[in-house]
Formats: sequence, structure tokens, C-alpha cells
Amino acid sequence: MTFTQECTIPVERARLWDLLMDVPTVGRCVPGVETIEAVNARAFRGGLKVQVGPIRLLLEGTITVEEADREAWRARMRAEANDRRLGGGIRARMSLALSPAEVGTRVQIDTDLAVLGKIGEFGQPVIKKKADALLEEFARNLRSTLTS
Amino acid sequence: MNAFDYRAPRTLDEALASLQEYGDDARVIAGGTALVTMMRQRLVQPRCVVSLRDVEGLGRIEARNGAVRLGALVTHREAETSPLLQERLPVLAETFRRVGTIRIRNMATVGGALAHADPNQDPPVTLIALDASVEIQRAGGRRELPIAAFFRDYYEPALEPGELVTAVTVPLLPPASGASFIKFLPRTADDYATVAVAVTVTLEPDGKRCREARIALGSVATTPLRGRAAEALLAGARLDESLVKSVGEAAKGEVDPLDDHRGSAAYKREMSAVMVGRALTQAWARARGAAREAE
Repeated sequence: MTFTQECTIPVERARLWDLLMDVPTVGRCVPGVETIEAVNARAFRGGLKVQVGPIRLLLEGTITVEEADREAWRARMRAEANDRRLGGGIRARMSLALSPAEVGTRVQIDTDLAVLGKIGEFGQPVIKKKADALLEEFARNLRSTLTS
Repeated sequence: MNAFDYRAPRTLDEALASLQEYGDDARVIAGGTALVTMMRQRLVQPRCVVSLRDVEGLGRIEARNGAVRLGALVTHREAETSPLLQERLPVLAETFRRVGTIRIRNMATVGGALAHADPNQDPPVTLIALDASVEIQRAGGRRELPIAAFFRDYYEPALEPGELVTAVTVPLLPPASGASFIKFLPRTADDYATVAVAVTVTLEPDGKRCREARIALGSVATTPLRGRAAEALLAGARLDESLVKSVGEAAKGEVDPLDDHRGSAAYKREMSAVMVGRALTQAWARARGAAREAE
């Protein structure tokens, strides 16, 4: 499944870029992130809690920054995570592009997401809506991190 | 399936005490048609399952102050075949009759269908159109919630840990009213709907203009929902083709369907308008019949 999301953060592009590339810090703005630590300069290991109705997932895995081009303001990332109890997980490729907005910076995220196993069967219809809710809260947290 | 504690309380108070003890880690089981499936797939792994099977007093259907109250443990089959419901709220009996298969209806309960908060279920749609209210209890407290406010999100009811649905109360329709439930099933008769619609219409004493109408839709968003903008077009109006069309169009603007194997979001949106139009026409005709009978 592919989808595109956008949000606007009221800070200038260079400052936002530097924050977004600081994965452990930015990770703490993602709702549900339990842990996040560096494996090396480009790869990070962590856990994300997601709840869909009565179903609680703990997705544990890695996120790798495959490309970070500060001149073009573009980055590509790959995430792989599994829920050990449920059996199933996600594989995601994301690209991130920053462009100037009227006030601050526009963030565009293109995601190609595969949800595997039972999680996919149950959650497929609401994945996009959950992702939108997640981004909305993430953007809110990011704004307050940047302004505090 | 994982190991879990099992409680089979005999009274509501004992059930509520168990729920309070385990909080978020407890799940209530009644008919088990939803929970057992999810537990077998390990989608849900509660530490404790509290069975309501032996709890007294939750299985009655009774007339009460211009309403019918259905206890949480009333099965779909009991609701469908209840003479009281068939007489006073035939549209609700008919809705329960349309759920799944008879094997499911023999097990699935009225309270369970609400607490499960699956947006594809039929009874919530008709209950919203009938403006029912949900009775919720916890240890040491009780509250009532309009059913339209009960469904928070995809499989997320407005129940806090420790709370339990104990009944649903459904007001009777005023004189000169009609109701209709329509379920669009392009695949099999026991499938979930692609779109489900319930409409109630109450006419003015002249039997021509609409006094009040309620429209509810299922399977077209992450929760069942009420089409208030569509309803607003009906107050004071007379039924004609263009009204049916504009009410359907307004309903389209209120749904937010999910793509799935029962149809694309765009298809379900279009079908919402069609089904609202059909249910409205049918409910209106029934209301006119009721108005004529009253004369």
C-alpha cells in the first residue's frame, strides 16, 4: 500500500532537517515509541506500541536511513518491525521531502507499506487512518519540541 | 490461544469486581462470537476472561415508559423472535434477523454487538436511527450514553476499563412514523454489508410533511454514524424524487468509507446515496400507512 502524507512545521527548513535527521530525538516525538537507540550512524533499533481497538501491538525492529541529501532536502528510510507475540509485522519504505511553506516548512512523506501476517488481515482497512492520526500527533509533538 | 484466568461470576457486582481487579487486561465474554475468534488468532490476549453466562438479570426484553429495554445478554435470535419487539419495534427485530447466520444469532448478544464496536455490524445502525441509549455500569456507578456517542473509533467503544454494557433502551416511535433497515449485500446473504442504512420518519398529523427523521449508516466509516446533514433536509419537507436524491447526496458527504474486498471507498460512497434513498422511500411509505391507520 502506498500513501502520501503532508504536514507543515513552523520552523525554517535547515533547522527542521537537522532535527529530523537526529533519529533518537525525533523518535521520541512519534506517539507510541517505547525505546529507540542507535545501532550505528544510520541504523536505529526501537519499539513502537500501536493500539487498534482491542488489539495492542508492540512492533520491534530497525529503521535505517538509506539516503540523506541535505542539498535536495530529501531523505529515504527503510523500516522493518515485527510483533513477536502476534506473528506479523511491517515493512516500510519512506521518502521524506522538505519544501518551504508560507510559514515554516512543508514535510511530505511518501510511504510504501506492507503489513504482514494477522495484523494485516485485521488492520488493513484502517492502516491509512491510523497513519494519519499518528502523523498528526507527531507533527504536534514536533512543533512543541521545536518551540520549547 | 494463550493461558488466561477465567471468571464466571453469578451476579453483576461480582462481574464488575473482576473487571475492576484486572482493568485493561480483562475481557468480557458473552456469546463469544467475536472474542473467541480474536483470541484464537492471538489478536487479543487478555489476562482474564470474565464470562457473563451465569449472571442473572441481564437477559430480559421488557417494555418500560414508552421504550423497550433489551438486557445485554439477550441474544440476536431472542431479539429477532421477541413478540414484544416484533410488535413495538418491528424494524429492530428485522435488523437482528438479518445478522449473519442463525448459528451466530443464537450466540451473539445485544450487549456484545455494541461493545465489540465493529463498524460493519447491523444492530448499531438501526439502534442509532431509533435514538437508543446504552446503559453502562462499573463497580459503584452507572451511566447512560446516547448510542451515537458510544462508538469512538474502529473497534473502540466508549467504555473505560472496568465498565460493562448492561442494557440498551430503545424509545418507541411516535404515531405516524415508519422505519426501514436496508443492507446491501453484493456477495452472500450472511456477509457483512457493503453499506447498511436505517431510516426513521415521523410525519406531521397531516400525513404529508416530515416532522422528524433520523438516518444512520453502517460499514461506511470507522464507526457506524448518523447522517445529520441528510436528516436536516427532511424537516418540514414533502417527499418527492428530488428530495430523495438530495438527501442521498447529503449522506454521501457524511460517510468516509474504507477500501476493502466489499468495495472501494468510492463505490461505497455512491451506494450510500442509493441505499439512503431506498430506505427513506420505504420508511416514508410506512409512516404514511401509519398516519392513515391513525385517521
